[in-house]
Amino acid sequence: MSSAISVRHLTKDFRVGLRGLKLRAVDDLSLEIPRGQVYGLLGPNGCGKSTTLKIVLGLVSATAGEVSILGCPSATPEARRRTGFLPEAPYFHKFLTGRELVRYCAQLSGVPSADVAAAVEDALGLAAMTEAADRPIGTYSKGMLQRIGFAQAVVHDPELVILDEPTAGVDPVGSAAIGRMIHAMRAKGKTIVLCSHLLGQVEQVCDRVAIMDRGKLVLEGRVDDVLSRRDRHVLTVESMSPAAREAAETALAAHGAVVTSVTHPRRSLEDLFRELVTGSRDA
Amino acid sequence: MQASFQRVSWIARVTFLEAVRQRFFAFLLILGAAMALSSVSFRVLDFGHGELKFIADFGFGGMFLFGSVLAVVMTAQLFFSEMDNKTALTLLAKPLGRGEFLLGKFAGAWAVLGVFVAVLSGLLGIVLWAREQELLLLAEQAGKVPPTFSASGLAQFALLQWLRLGVVASIVLAISAVARTFLYAVVVGALAVVAGQLQWIAQDAILKPSESPAYEAVLWLTSRLLPNLQQFNIGDALVLGATGVPADAVGAVALAGAAYMAGYVFLGALLFKRREI
Repeated sequence: MSSAISVRHLTKDFRVGLRGLKLRAVDDLSLEIPRGQVYGLLGPNGCGKSTTLKIVLGLVSATAGEVSILGCPSATPEARRRTGFLPEAPYFHKFLTGRELVRYCAQLSGVPSADVAAAVEDALGLAAMTEAADRPIGTYSKGMLQRIGFAQAVVHDPELVILDEPTAGVDPVGSAAIGRMIHAMRAKGKTIVLCSHLLGQVEQVCDRVAIMDRGKLVLEGRVDDVLSRRDRHVLTVESMSPAAREAAETALAAHGAVVTSVTHPRRSLEDLFRELVTGSRDA
Repeated sequence: MQASFQRVSWIARVTFLEAVRQRFFAFLLILGAAMALSSVSFRVLDFGHGELKFIADFGFGGMFLFGSVLAVVMTAQLFFSEMDNKTALTLLAKPLGRGEFLLGKFAGAWAVLGVFVAVLSGLLGIVLWAREQELLLLAEQAGKVPPTFSASGLAQFALLQWLRLGVVASIVLAISAVARTFLYAVVVGALAVVAGQLQWIAQDAILKPSESPAYEAVLWLTSRLLPNLQQFNIGDALVLGATGVPADAVGAVALAGAAYMAGYVFLGALLFKRREI
């Protein structure tokens, strides 16, 4: 089965200024995002995350490289039919009600007319926006805007959902609500690509992460793997070999300590991010 | 095909709703309506064809001036509001073709221009009819031939004006598809309207012999690429003329307008496909 998103040697240059100076936003990026997982795409501002997502969605053309979504070339309507997208700081027509917006997006996404009403109610329910659905969007708070944005992104039941900074500017309660929505989508077997600066949340919800800096991929892997520090050990000793345990307990008991577990210590994703990104900046 | 038409109609519907809520639209509609209604107050004191012509010209002028401003500014604004507010990001990430998006924007803008033309034409028709009735009585008393106007001619003129504004909107949309800023689109769009009004000069010049093939080629290209917006200004003949305008002549103008409109929307869609959102 093909990956949810496959990016091969992707490069994007922007021409800036009258002299057309080349600005490389994405530099030979290769990624394979597996299906059915929550994938975190991290990086500082200007590292090329949003440009990569725009290329994936066919909104921006690549200078070089190939991108496919669920086996289809990314710029095709077929690929976008199976994809939902919540842009960063979404803005919607203020005169529409939440329900009208989600219905509008359902129609544009090709939901059959007979199924639109049910799809809209499902999406509003998932985003916990049913009660506020008949209010004009102009009256929504920031958190409600993000939630209605989430609803419009998933109303056509896409296999892949791309969320660009879904919790930016949202309070912790709203942020937790979005976290629950992501969990709900994962439980349905969807693939979710999450672009966020809230590293704590990424650590909690993501199965895999990729960290970008200056257009390049600097780290990619399972969250548990990349956060484990295998050069050190925390011992929570409970079932070691009897001889070792006895020796350890004797040694530790002499100091009044009790061994309960042995595990690998973890550093936080935030620490790892800072080490990788700030470290490369300092170099 | 049906699904594509539905997507275009949804974009058009939301574009229309957005446009009619704008104060700018209401402002120009009120100005145009005030101009049509106030024409009675400015009429010359004698009665006859001259007076109805004055009222009609006043109304045509309002429709042309405010309609052109609306077609240029509103069309550019409707396009750039989607770009600048990034609602286009949300919409174009859906299985919606760029051409469908642009066609939907055009259809929504053109529908608003239709409302504008219909309201002003309706008001102008009422003013002309009311004055015609008054003049009819005065003419009977004075034993003169009463002046008349043609309601069906006014309807034809309204349709031609709607087409003319559609041509302007399609040009502005094609410019917007490549323009980086709203201001640039409005300025170039306004210049295109002026050039369209003066296009007959190129048509006249091409008839005169020239020794420069390059000059002739430029004239030929100009006269083909730019629509002759003056050809839509046949209101006097349609509304007040005794014999009207032959149906095939009106049809030819309408056909030319429709062809230019389709051509510029197609060009806009091609240019918009290359735009990075």
